[in-house]
Amino acid sequence: MTRDTYIFLAFTLLFIGVNIYFLADGTLRLDWTGFGIIVAAGLTLALYSFLYKDNPLFKFAEHIFVGVAAAYVFGQYWYPTIYGEIVAKFAALASEEAETQGSTWWLLVPSGLGILMLTRFSRRIGWLSRISFAFYVGLGAGLTIPRFTSSFILSQLEPMLVPLSWDFEGLNLFIILVGVVTVLIYFFFSVEHSGAVGHASKIGIWFLMVSFGASFGYTIMARLSLLIGRLRFLLDDWLQVM
Amino acid sequence: MQRLMNIDRRIIFVLVFLGVAIPLLVDFYLPIKPTSTVQAVYDEIERVAAIDEGTVLLSFSYGASTEPEMQPMARSLVRHCFSRDIKVVAICLWPEAPGLAQEVLQTTAAEFGKTYGVDYAFMGYKPGNYSVILNMGQDFHDAFSRDAWGARSNTLPLTRDIRSLRDFDFVFDLAAGDSIEFWWIPFGQEKFGFPFAGGCTAVMAPDLFPFLQSRQLIGLIGGLAGAAEYEILMDRRDSATEAMRAQSITHVIIIAFILFGNAVFFLTRRRSVRP
Repeated sequence: MTRDTYIFLAFTLLFIGVNIYFLADGTLRLDWTGFGIIVAAGLTLALYSFLYKDNPLFKFAEHIFVGVAAAYVFGQYWYPTIYGEIVAKFAALASEEAETQGSTWWLLVPSGLGILMLTRFSRRIGWLSRISFAFYVGLGAGLTIPRFTSSFILSQLEPMLVPLSWDFEGLNLFIILVGVVTVLIYFFFSVEHSGAVGHASKIGIWFLMVSFGASFGYTIMARLSLLIGRLRFLLDDWLQVM
Repeated sequence: MQRLMNIDRRIIFVLVFLGVAIPLLVDFYLPIKPTSTVQAVYDEIERVAAIDEGTVLLSFSYGASTEPEMQPMARSLVRHCFSRDIKVVAICLWPEAPGLAQEVLQTTAAEFGKTYGVDYAFMGYKPGNYSVILNMGQDFHDAFSRDAWGARSNTLPLTRDIRSLRDFDFVFDLAAGDSIEFWWIPFGQEKFGFPFAGGCTAVMAPDLFPFLQSRQLIGLIGGLAGAAEYEILMDRRDSATEAMRAQSITHVIIIAFILFGNAVFFLTRRRSVRP
């Protein structure tokens, strides 16, 4: 056995020992809540063990996560949507509620299109799925192109077209204006970036660098928040030392 | 010098771990000043509180992976609404969200003695992303014909008179993905014209600042820091404010490592340039 195997065996035994002690001590209750906390603590530590190096405990926790997430998402799609919106509504048509459910027949169209998508699993009739995809792509493009043009271009241009003023607000607007123009110049490759265009594109690079720095700073904050959340769980819910 | 350039990353992990764990175990508070974007959300809720039977739509679009950042934010918002007798209708546009939303709604409702169906309603999860938002804008009862427990939305006292998104006094999206900029703004706020703000993970916050300038977003709560600012505005320090101790100390450690790394890099380069 290698040194790492000994380390992981010791780690696992320590985890089991700590939990037995907590259960005997009464720190953790011998019920489903206590069991849930032990499982969550074990999986958290197993996933963080990757920071040392890749190992079987990490792989085990990773596979459990993938399996549970897939089953959970399937459950969420099945009950409220496939069952609730389609199966239950068609079943109601055959019952005494049929008169009040008169408009449900149109559900046959999206249901049919959905079933056609599943034909991709067959080589013989897989071409039928193109009908559904054509509908989906057409609908998506038709909905998003005008909405995105309005929200991301026109509405974003509007606040830049207000008159500049000699106050702090005006200075902010001026900086944004310079940033937008110089970054656009940087991404304009049809003209050689030399002379005035080169200087402007260099200013654009500075704006991009500041933007990347801000994004990176926020990313560190987000990742640390997740670590804080997990450590709070381990220290408070599991070890109960907070 | 070369050894300093190649510090074992596990040393950094240990220091970051200590930077998080020690501030969580030691009780102290660092000053937190609410920013204008968080203040704007708070003010908007206060505006709704002044409306008779004011109703807020909360959209939960996050999952367990971002729970430490988003859950304190959601809790503060629901607390603020309930403390000011604002009605809350909650929906989920992410499949992972219902469990988290239900926990926040039920614990906070119990805290303020709120009644289900009258003071708050939970409509559960609906797939379809922006299609659901378009559907809600046209006919809320069609988009959510039943609540999360199967009761018809046109029979619940809180939701029976809500016809579309325009009937809400304020809409707030708690997002861990791109639902604010790609779903709610183009297909909801811009199309139906309701007051809208968002809360997001820190990773997403820089991408959403342009929407504040264009007033497509009234306010923005960004990450754990934003949640802590909201707790300060509520005058109720909770998990986000506590977590900011660890956040601030760890940021100092990371900044120190960045400065250290750069200093060692430039010193190494200067030595290698010398003849």
